[in-house]
Amino acid sequence: MMTRKLFALTILTFKEGVRDRALFGIGLFSLLLMAGSIVVVSMFMRELHKVTVDINLSAITFAGLLLSFFVSINLMSKDIDRYTIYSVLSKPFSRSQYIWGKYLGIMLLIVTAMGILTFCSSLAIWFTKSQYSLYFQGFSWMEFYKAVYAELLMFFLLNALIVFFSTITTSSFITLLFSISTYIAGQTIEEVVLFLKTKHAAEIFMSEGINTIIGIVQYILPNLSVFDLKLQSAHAITISWDYLAAVTGYSIVYSIVLLIMASLIFNKRELR
Amino acid sequence: MKRQFILVLFLFVSIFFCFMFQKNLIEKREIFLKENYAGYILPSKITGPASLEFSGIVADFLFLKITTFFGGEFNQNEPIDNKYAQFLYESMNILTDLDPWFWDAYLMADMILTWDFGKIDLANKLLLKAMAHRKEDFKVPYYIGFNYFYFLKDNLNGARYLMQAARLPKAPGYLSSLATRLSMYQNQYRPAIMFLNDIIKSTQNPELRKQFEIRLKTLMIMDRLEKKVHEFKKRFGTFPDRLSDLTDKGLVKLIPDDPYGGKFILLENKRVYTTSKMIYK
Repeated sequence: MMTRKLFALTILTFKEGVRDRALFGIGLFSLLLMAGSIVVVSMFMRELHKVTVDINLSAITFAGLLLSFFVSINLMSKDIDRYTIYSVLSKPFSRSQYIWGKYLGIMLLIVTAMGILTFCSSLAIWFTKSQYSLYFQGFSWMEFYKAVYAELLMFFLLNALIVFFSTITTSSFITLLFSISTYIAGQTIEEVVLFLKTKHAAEIFMSEGINTIIGIVQYILPNLSVFDLKLQSAHAITISWDYLAAVTGYSIVYSIVLLIMASLIFNKRELR
Repeated sequence: MKRQFILVLFLFVSIFFCFMFQKNLIEKREIFLKENYAGYILPSKITGPASLEFSGIVADFLFLKITTFFGGEFNQNEPIDNKYAQFLYESMNILTDLDPWFWDAYLMADMILTWDFGKIDLANKLLLKAMAHRKEDFKVPYYIGFNYFYFLKDNLNGARYLMQAARLPKAPGYLSSLATRLSMYQNQYRPAIMFLNDIIKSTQNPELRKQFEIRLKTLMIMDRLEKKVHEFKKRFGTFPDRLSDLTDKGLVKLIPDDPYGGKFILLENKRVYTTSKMIYK
């Protein structure tokens, strides 16, 4: 029964997302970028496979980010902004089910969009590969798909964050700000921590308090850079299955924590 | 009707002015870019975090920007200002901080820093960085070995790196004996010809390929002339005083033109060289 309710909400959110016109703009932009990669690679010396993979993976990621920041946030806030949440919650759904259903619907949308884009980018790579086969000896389809999978895991987590933020804020703009800030911080926190461990950083005066705060923050913030395998994939460096299993676990557990917290907050939230 | 006509007229006038501004700006930008293009590049401490998870594509963009700049300089067929050597080194260092496996960047820096600027130390510094990341790639120690051997005339280090290259996976079988053979060819153009042939085979970019081919052609001419100088010694018991002696004695029909616009000459140590130093005159 609960699964059926969740499924219904998931499909409803997915259909709502598909109707968003921004989706087509994002898709078109990414497809143009992928097609552009065929032309751009001819300007490089010999690592054409690296450039092709770089551009295609970046296009997929960029499209996923635009989808998350604009379509997902819109899907989350629309019900509250337009008061349609009352009609949804008047049905036999609990607030927790609403949160999980919304999240799963958004993820279905992202998985579908990424699936289509991955297929298109595979075509673009295949075409470039057939044109410059001599310069594609260092290319690996397997590593390419592993990088796409890791990006998808990042979107699992990022969208869980978006759902979480939309339950604690009252405006979609603030959700957007929080989400973008957390994304940037999540992508750079690893580098900041690594920098602080270098000799160079030891010369910079930094109070003990700031060091402690950074130490705590690195455990609270999601480390999104662990999902970035674009460089490894571009150079066909083998990514171990162990690593993929670890990032899968990380993404799922972190997302579940965020969604449980979002459910708890949303249960207590007063809707006006 | 009249209002609409005025509106259309105004639109055309605006388009005309827009075109004029654009044209003017393009000219101004060309001057501006020429003066400022290679001025600086943001350090990797900034570009790294700022590129977020897009460091690969940012590295590609920077690489394209740098190759376009140096390509433009080469196309002018004029000697490149020496101040750009440091710029090239620093920018490639930043770029390879963003993508430490980017072989095209290391290779391009090596080719220009050694052949055009004579900055072998800088080229080797970058190649050593490449070696730390591309541990299984035989090409990296191979190129360092070549630099030691050909440019620094350091046979010991040259052979050491070539042997290191020979031990790596996918290294061609001839590498292990190349070190010995290279020592035999010391003070000859043969190693450089072999090296450039190898590079041309795997270079896709037509502009760069053309540059390498011109260099190869020049080296092949110098190599052929040097062989004729030795043949002269064998036949007449003494080295020629100048290259024209080769044509006088019928060993060559005529001394070819230097593709770089210089003139081939016979040095006092009886080596053939060119007044262009393989830089466009």
